[in-house]
Amino acid sequence: MRYLLRRGGFFLLTLWAALTLNFFIPRFMPGSPLDALRIRTKDKLSTEALAQMLTAFGFKPNENIFVQYWDYLGHMLTGQWGISIGGTLGQPVSEIVMHALPWTLGLVGVTTVIAFLLGSLIGVLAGWRRGGKLDSVLPPIFVITSALPYFWVGLLLILVFSVWTNGWLPSDFNYDTSLQPSFSWEFIGSVLQHAVLPAATILITSIGGWILTMRNNMITTLAEDYVRMGRAKGLSGWRVMTTYAGRNAFLPNLSGFAMSLGFVISGSILVEYVFNYPGLGYLLYNSVVGTDYPVMQVLFMLFTVAVLFALIACDVAIAWLDPRARTEG
Amino acid sequence: MRKGLDPMKRGNGIAILMAVGLCATACSGADNTGAGSSSAPSAVAGSTAGAAGAPTSASNGGSTAADTGSNSAAGPTGSGSGTTATSSATAATHKQGGEVTIANVAGQTWSCQFNPFNPSVYQQSIGFVYEPLVYVNLLKDQAETPMLASSYTWSKDKKSIVFDIRQGVKWSDGQPFTAKDVAFTFNLMKRFPGTDLYSLWSGAGLQSAEAAGDQVTLTFAGPATTYFFNFANQVAIVPEHIFSTGAAAEHPDTWADPQPVGTGPFMVSPCSANNIQYVANPNYWQPGKPYIQKVQYPAYLDNGPANLDLATGKAQWGSQFIPSIKAFYLAKSPDNHSWSPPVSNVALYPNLDPSHAATSKLAVRQAMAMAIDRSQVALIGEGGQQPAANQSGIVLPTFEKYYDAGAVAAAGFDKPNPAKATELLASAGYSPSNPLNLSVITVTGYTDWDASLAVIKQNLAPIGINLTVEDLAQQTYNSRLYTGDFDLAYYGDVGGPTPFYELRQVLYSKNSAPIGKSASTNFERYLNPEVDKLFDSFPAADEAGQVEIIKKIGAAMIKDVPVIPITESVDWFQYNTKDIEGWPTEQDPYAQPAAYNVPDTGQVLLHLYSKSAQ
Repeated sequence: MRYLLRRGGFFLLTLWAALTLNFFIPRFMPGSPLDALRIRTKDKLSTEALAQMLTAFGFKPNENIFVQYWDYLGHMLTGQWGISIGGTLGQPVSEIVMHALPWTLGLVGVTTVIAFLLGSLIGVLAGWRRGGKLDSVLPPIFVITSALPYFWVGLLLILVFSVWTNGWLPSDFNYDTSLQPSFSWEFIGSVLQHAVLPAATILITSIGGWILTMRNNMITTLAEDYVRMGRAKGLSGWRVMTTYAGRNAFLPNLSGFAMSLGFVISGSILVEYVFNYPGLGYLLYNSVVGTDYPVMQVLFMLFTVAVLFALIACDVAIAWLDPRARTEG
Repeated sequence: MRKGLDPMKRGNGIAILMAVGLCATACSGADNTGAGSSSAPSAVAGSTAGAAGAPTSASNGGSTAADTGSNSAAGPTGSGSGTTATSSATAATHKQGGEVTIANVAGQTWSCQFNPFNPSVYQQSIGFVYEPLVYVNLLKDQAETPMLASSYTWSKDKKSIVFDIRQGVKWSDGQPFTAKDVAFTFNLMKRFPGTDLYSLWSGAGLQSAEAAGDQVTLTFAGPATTYFFNFANQVAIVPEHIFSTGAAAEHPDTWADPQPVGTGPFMVSPCSANNIQYVANPNYWQPGKPYIQKVQYPAYLDNGPANLDLATGKAQWGSQFIPSIKAFYLAKSPDNHSWSPPVSNVALYPNLDPSHAATSKLAVRQAMAMAIDRSQVALIGEGGQQPAANQSGIVLPTFEKYYDAGAVAAAGFDKPNPAKATELLASAGYSPSNPLNLSVITVTGYTDWDASLAVIKQNLAPIGINLTVEDLAQQTYNSRLYTGDFDLAYYGDVGGPTPFYELRQVLYSKNSAPIGKSASTNFERYLNPEVDKLFDSFPAADEAGQVEIIKKIGAAMIKDVPVIPITESVDWFQYNTKDIEGWPTEQDPYAQPAAYNVPDTGQVLLHLYSKSAQ
């Protein structure tokens, strides 16, 4: 119990520190929302009217910064996220986030789960037949691919599967804009088709990590006495691999997985940017370019909270799985 | 990877688990800057993905659109009671039907808001749904087309104007449109300064807006002819019965207006984050119009896919720069065309403040203006897609009648003259052996500007100027430009229906500010009381007088070289004639053609028709 309380306290402290940074760092950036709006409207409109309009939308640059900070903390906690003052001027931030969130969860979330499951499976097989064909081919390849930069892989895939093949796979956006969102096969097919290349990019660059850790865990576990015991009992190879070795080797990977789920929500900014995929990562990029403080704040807050929640879930799981964590703290 | 790990005892697995968890907790305070996790982004790269493929789907070009038939007796266009009504060549009527798709990159998905006072969304509502009183054509010497006002009369002193409001117009919800709506719109801008986007009440001296019968009178503090473009052409009239109730009445400036009710030719139905579909307003006040029955406006996040859709004909109305347009677009189909009329200048802004010793010297600026080969910059830097500018700052051929070719030639600015430039620079104390070091600020990612500045750098090197190009992030560039923190700045301003608007922005001293303070448009900090006087006398002058005044201001541009115009920025416009005809062309420039011009989009939409529906 003491352990959980301590973790909870740490959670709150980290959350406060992150929220504070999220407030101040964007305001240290060069430029202001007004300048950004002036450039977007090409100085055609009166600067005073634009300033008035931004004020009406809740931008108060002349208010005391600590009063602003206090209001900001309150708004973040109560969910009054305000209204965008950047490129999407006038749109409520919650609406913007709700539009982008499903796309990021769908693309990055599903891909992370697939990468984890597939990577772990390959890792188990590679570790089981250590030095076998699978083990000598796949891990070295994935060591290389996991070291490749996202955006480079993305551009390469676009070049090969979209440009050279004359648009065989769409390289941009989340679905064909001539379709209306609906539960029709045409629409779902379009969504899936548009997700292929970005998903492949994330998969290629992230699966290597899971394969390697799983394989190494597997090798360590295979040297354990209980595995030898299982073999001595004459159990089938499959049974020993899955329920004796694989199951135990899986545990450390699971905590890594919980963490990576926390990072799902922040999306893969570069992947979304390269593929013009309108998820949270793309939104973050756009809000930084447009000096859109309200959107930036909310996104940073969500990213922080998602990671912290993933970690605390991890902590609770540890406390549940390992009695020592409860006593030693 | 054959190297095995030391065999561990069983409990160690848990230790790893804990270590990972603790490390992650410790790292998590550092926000999302990505410690350890394989899915954490670490930085945002600068360059966009240029290469892109097309989503290959069924073509939604006009040919497949439903034909609604000719159910209405096609009447004459507009009404005859206009002031200087200019009927463009398309007096013929067409049958209704067809669909047009616009490719105008917004860089974000749609917010589905259509408030005409919100500058982030009004491009998608004014012209489509909302209309102005009078349309003023920048490209045809301010030719006027009466819209919601059938005619108008200025008072003798040009201080007040009476609009005759068009009869028989209905809002798209069936309510009648009246003079009260017009007066309401202008008075709304007084009550909510955020909606007064053109500073009519605060800057232009608007004193009152009153409706009486079918007329609306606007009264100003001084002669107001120069504001006509803004209050008659740019301001969109909104319905009083919508904007005076509920949320719209409380906050007309921030109201979302998701289902806009206007007098315009189109209505929104439906809007999603990825696409806005407009359908024709069946009760539009110009009988038989619009001919086109549907408009698709997809959200494009990047130029690449938009340009690809244009090249394949999936989109027919393009509004952004296409690199090497001949090979990429024009050669793809005989139906693909491009016409990009010049509207304003891209110029080098020298810092005229005395704290910048070199650039505040006239001889240095004259030397630069003479050394730079503008047509070479236009050809290499802009790929020939923008014409070269001239030192008088009058955009050609758009504003031909204000141009004084003799004066430009007499001052020696008609063609590059490196010998004279070297001489001038020597008089200021610099030479190739004792070069002048200057830096110029530009925006990262504006690759055409980078190419242009590379040519300028080459032009300036032989006469003794070492130019350093500073590529800055947009925000940094803006604040340095506004506050005057530069030697030279490369910048493109915006124009208006006559050169007066652009030159006033650039040269009028009230648009300037001391170094360190944010200037509104006079970034070079030019201060010449005589030129200010010319600007002040312009509104009260008659037409011939106005031309004379602009010629005098052009002469000041030549004499003082306050800025150095390099190329003329254009309205990017590409169009496909496979099914859609009636586009604005060089021969019939009835409106500014790019889809980002309000309210010109409305004029284009009223002219377009589908060939397959005829």
